[in-house]
Amino acid sequence: MIKQHIYRDSDKMSDLICCNYSLLQVLSRFGIPMGFGNKTVKEVCNEQQIDPKTFLCVVNFIASDEPTKMEHPEIKLNDLLLYLQQAHIYFIDFNLPTIRKKLVDALELSPDRTITTSILKFFDDYAAEVRRHMEYENKNIFQYIGELIQGNVQENYSIIEFEKMHKAIDDKHVEAKLSDLKNIIIKYYPSQQVNYLLNSVLADIFSSERELALHCYIEDYILVPAVLDLEKKLKKS
Amino acid sequence: MSESKILYIAIAESSTIIRKGVIATLKQLLDGSKQFIEITSTEQLTESFRHKQIDVLIINPLLYNTIEHSKLKANSSFKCIALQTSIADKNLFNSYDGVISLYENDQEIVRLFNSFIEHKNEEEDSEEVLSQREKEIIVCIVKGMTNKEIADKLFISVHTVITHRRNITRKLEIHSTAGLTIYAIINKLIDINDAN
Repeated sequence: MIKQHIYRDSDKMSDLICCNYSLLQVLSRFGIPMGFGNKTVKEVCNEQQIDPKTFLCVVNFIASDEPTKMEHPEIKLNDLLLYLQQAHIYFIDFNLPTIRKKLVDALELSPDRTITTSILKFFDDYAAEVRRHMEYENKNIFQYIGELIQGNVQENYSIIEFEKMHKAIDDKHVEAKLSDLKNIIIKYYPSQQVNYLLNSVLADIFSSERELALHCYIEDYILVPAVLDLEKKLKKS
Repeated sequence: MSESKILYIAIAESSTIIRKGVIATLKQLLDGSKQFIEITSTEQLTESFRHKQIDVLIINPLLYNTIEHSKLKANSSFKCIALQTSIADKNLFNSYDGVISLYENDQEIVRLFNSFIEHKNEEEDSEEVLSQREKEIIVCIVKGMTNKEIADKLFISVHTVITHRRNITRKLEIHSTAGLTIYAIINKLIDINDAN
């Protein structure tokens, strides 16, 4: 097996992106603007006041083929939390609405309005579910972690409960819905001619699905173990 | 992430270098998602078959006697490829679905695997078309009927309804009621006003 490349803080930030453009999303979510010249990862992170270790942890996690659960991730929880919150904003306010707009344009070409309406309704239900899921996390889980970072322990709750519930939701519900939408378009949508816009929106749906899955993996495999470590530390003292 | 079907390939060979070499070669040559299971002992072989899904088993016949693999074969359907590591009697490989020698070229390996995969797809394709009964059930589901209501209407048992629903999901690869509704509209099984 070929050992996969691991990015270091001495790597040039521009090389990182050129090697693997899927890391672009990480930059924007950490609030790192482009135009970093020849600066290294460490230099750019320090300038933006982001912990380089946390940044690299996410970068290497996303760049790896098979995400695995981390035992004791060396990260700054506060920075990871900001990253995840930003990711929620990205999905809810940017990614899903953009896909919807494109979907409307692509389906406009179809003469059958009922099909268009039913597909859009399906997408809206999916988007609403993602939004509900993320708003729940913002309100409850992230709030809880925020308190924990301040040193306020809640005796009757542990992140383990979130972990259990979270896996159940992601695996079954949200993903199944999206795969239904893809299958409907790929296998059953009646189209007479090549529809570039529909192909393009389908590609967007595929990449959105992958991004969302990775996002959930980051929550399960980096956030949860990091919070567990903090819970243990606080409950001991 | 469930992008496509995964092919589970087990490699039973005690040499680490050969085992890892086979995995690296297959990873490079074959398209599609694959999962590899490394097997180093007879006990582990039986154990793996008990707990894991295995589509293709690549096995060194010198290490495991033929009785073992025909016993496994009786219990589950998988393709068994002999891994030939030395000069051996051809009859030794009679009971296998294929043979890969250590000096096999790329094309031959790809050809062997593709013949398995295509064969598998053919078997599934023949069942892909929905039956009239399944179409009736889709209409009922889309109208918002429960399994019990569907069973009563069509004079079949709830158990049969569930089996039909499972088959519909497998054939169409659509899991939700909302998804089935769109399918039904596209294929004119229902009128939009019927949809719940």
